[in-house]
Amino acid sequence: MNPLNPLNLTATLAVIIFGAGTVAGALGIALGLGGGIFLVPFLTLVLGFPLKSAAAISLATVIATSSAVTAQRAGNQLINLRVGMVLEAATTVGSLLGGITAQLVAESVLQRLFGVVAIGVAAVVLGRVNKRNVILDSTVDPGWLGGRFYEEESGGVVSYRVKRLPLALFASFIAGNVSSLLGIGGGIIKVPVLNSWCGMPLRAAAATSALMIGVTATGGAIIYYGRGDLQPLLAAPAVLGVQVGSWAGARLAYGASVKWLKLLMAALLVIVAVLMFLRSTP
Amino acid sequence: MNRERSAMQRLETTIGEVLRFGTITSSTMFAIGLLMAVVGYQPEVAQLLLGAGLVILLATPPSRVVVSVIEYMRERDWTFVVLTLIVLLALAGSVVAAYF
Repeated sequence: MNPLNPLNLTATLAVIIFGAGTVAGALGIALGLGGGIFLVPFLTLVLGFPLKSAAAISLATVIATSSAVTAQRAGNQLINLRVGMVLEAATTVGSLLGGITAQLVAESVLQRLFGVVAIGVAAVVLGRVNKRNVILDSTVDPGWLGGRFYEEESGGVVSYRVKRLPLALFASFIAGNVSSLLGIGGGIIKVPVLNSWCGMPLRAAAATSALMIGVTATGGAIIYYGRGDLQPLLAAPAVLGVQVGSWAGARLAYGASVKWLKLLMAALLVIVAVLMFLRSTP
Repeated sequence: MNRERSAMQRLETTIGEVLRFGTITSSTMFAIGLLMAVVGYQPEVAQLLLGAGLVILLATPPSRVVVSVIEYMRERDWTFVVLTLIVLLALAGSVVAAYF
């Protein structure tokens, strides 16, 4: 059976993709990652989709998540529009190059790359197991790119300055490339860099990244769409599933301890990496 | 400074509205189209709805970039006009790469 032939789309397959999207979306929200890092391996390793069409479907879910989350947050000043628009110039150029590269390289290369990135994500997740949000509560002038927002935990307006812009641009460019190639949002690369080295509070970095991943994923998704790798019949249940999952996950994640979930996910990602490597060497 | 802040606030609100419209429209089309496809009711219409939903989904982020370009032009903030135009140019590059 060729799962990419729309005529073969049974109710079962739609339900399976919807369910996978729901789980991926919920996990993504709970861990502060996108759902793509879980959805892509499920579609390739379990359903046997080529990595390119799995990446394309996942990019569609990334766009939907970005638009929905940003629409919800708009107006509360958590999103740093200026930083977002500066870095988007780098992410979209990166996603254009990544999208072209994806058309040229072999499936096995993409699988190995996914394996490497999954290990990297596992390391980042483990590194953050006990980490709390770093918030600068100074009232300094935020400068050209900085921002201020109302922060509930400290009960006041906090402000921050953005440092090391070239580093942020470079990380965004790499994130754009990886996004198109593998179908993930790329927040996993940008958020730690913006938070740890560029002075942005974690929540502002995450909100700004959520804004950026939509336009970044679009750069890659357009290429897959034009090349026939993005089927509406397969993208629709994934998009709806991820939306439902993120909605549910955001409610479940409140107050829940995610430490064990993080450890579990890191282990799962290592398994995904191993499976991807095994698949790439027939 | 205050004027600049309120302009940013306005842009953020407009962007939110564009994104909300795109999300709701595409998700609704996906939901109806998918339901029709699964139960086999008017498959051609289902295909059309799903296809249109996907195009709207893909068009939503570029639309908010276009809105940003216009807003920064009104503010005469040329640095950001250039930056947002780079984003649009890269997206146009994706369209070229997709179909050439």
